[in-house]
Amino acid sequence: MQNKTATILCLLSTLVILSSCATKKMFSSNYYFENEKTLTDIEQSYKKLYSQKPFSVGFTDKSFHYISLEIITDTIKYIYEFEVTEPRLQDTLRKYRLPIPDISELKKKMQLIQCIWINKLDYYDNNQKRSLIFMSIRKAVFHLPFTTEKYYILTFYPQPQYYDSEGNLLSSLRRRKIRKIKGDTFYRINDKVAYTISDKFR
Amino acid sequence: MRLKKNIQYVFYPSIISLLILGYSNKVAAADKRNADTTPHTTQKQALQFLEIQTNLEASKFWPNVNPVTYLQNLKKNVEYPLSMHEGRSTNFCGYAALSYHPLHDDPLSYFTFMLKLYKEGKAVYGKEYFEPSKPVKLAAGTLTFKGELDVRPADQLWFLALADHFKGYLNTFNRHYNIGDENKFWPSVNFAKYNRMVRNLFNYKVTSVGADLIRPGIGDIFTYLSEGLQKGTVTVYLSNPQLYKKNHSGLKLSIPTHYIILTDIHEADDAIAITYWDYAGKTRQLFPESFLKKIIFGVSIASKRTTNAK
Repeated sequence: MQNKTATILCLLSTLVILSSCATKKMFSSNYYFENEKTLTDIEQSYKKLYSQKPFSVGFTDKSFHYISLEIITDTIKYIYEFEVTEPRLQDTLRKYRLPIPDISELKKKMQLIQCIWINKLDYYDNNQKRSLIFMSIRKAVFHLPFTTEKYYILTFYPQPQYYDSEGNLLSSLRRRKIRKIKGDTFYRINDKVAYTISDKFR
Repeated sequence: MRLKKNIQYVFYPSIISLLILGYSNKVAAADKRNADTTPHTTQKQALQFLEIQTNLEASKFWPNVNPVTYLQNLKKNVEYPLSMHEGRSTNFCGYAALSYHPLHDDPLSYFTFMLKLYKEGKAVYGKEYFEPSKPVKLAAGTLTFKGELDVRPADQLWFLALADHFKGYLNTFNRHYNIGDENKFWPSVNFAKYNRMVRNLFNYKVTSVGADLIRPGIGDIFTYLSEGLQKGTVTVYLSNPQLYKKNHSGLKLSIPTHYIILTDIHEADDAIAITYWDYAGKTRQLFPESFLKKIIFGVSIASKRTTNAK
């Protein structure tokens, strides 16, 4: 009886270890280079659309059927949630004068690579306000119950960033302090793109 | 026998007198309490006071807070009270939420307190005496990677001083500030602590329902919150992971972690539209009533004491 329990426990532990290894491998920085074109397309089209009307967009469910749209105005932020096929989504885009075909295209690309969230984030560098594009990707093929799901987070900067010899994103070259974004340390992909793996997609 | 009778003559009237006196004192105390008036000043008064603060010198108590940016931050808070930001990844939301009260109803008292605290390192606000600890004085002005809070040294000082001063059971195991504690349990605010802070600092009449782990069990949440807005400022204590979905975990602990100020509520189709202020601005969101009931753990209504108001 004792042997049987030990065997079950051993098998379960092995499964947990294997799944965590698989997840980490999938979240390696190679992912960026394999999907570079789609990722930069998404970033560029989001940036262009954002300049017309500030907004954030993402999916609230694992199957990418529900879309969350945040429209940012000078006085208030409106948060909506729709089914992707719902006519109310188009009505809302029309109301805020966001181009429907371009948003649909962005949505499709996001679904294609399982990009679950995109927004623009402000941060400060030597008291200067700057901004980055924050993108989260859900890439777990399978996910064991009772374990935390991980997200691959990419940050895109308009100007080259500083990194230390281990590839950690720094706040400035002079201070050599590791920059945290939403509490996470980021790592170099290239001069203007950094990544991390997080248990939160936004 | 006669002595006993005499004692009775003296004893009983004395007891009755004492009881009457006690009662009248109680009534007087209650009257005095009711006669309390919540301080009220205007934005204009606060800005006029600010205009004459031209020679604020660097404080020896707050070495990392520049006097110029400190005053700029205070001015911004008074001019645009909704711009205050709790900071990214911090646990300052309770303190940011309660700041809504002085910034809207009594900015001059807030401003006077902040100046005194900066200049002298200690000050009194309402019923509370503040003398922040040294680690907190050193930390104010140095918090980084918190978004907008990075460039708001007065808000850093305010949040840190409040967290250093007020303690609740959530702070039991982390009572003294160390670098990075702003993201941990050190500044956490349980519901009773929030209500205590609003009462003691700003002298509001605070009525609340709910608790940290048990939902308030309000039958008609829409009517309750609408009526609350008629009475005063409504703070809602709710479960943040359910308000802002951040992961797809099936195991979501339903516990309240966030304070918001409700500014408007109305019914829309089969749902309830709420407008609230949390950090740096207002948000409007639509929820089914059942969902709203699921995420709300506490409602605190702060109404002004106006018995002697002019």
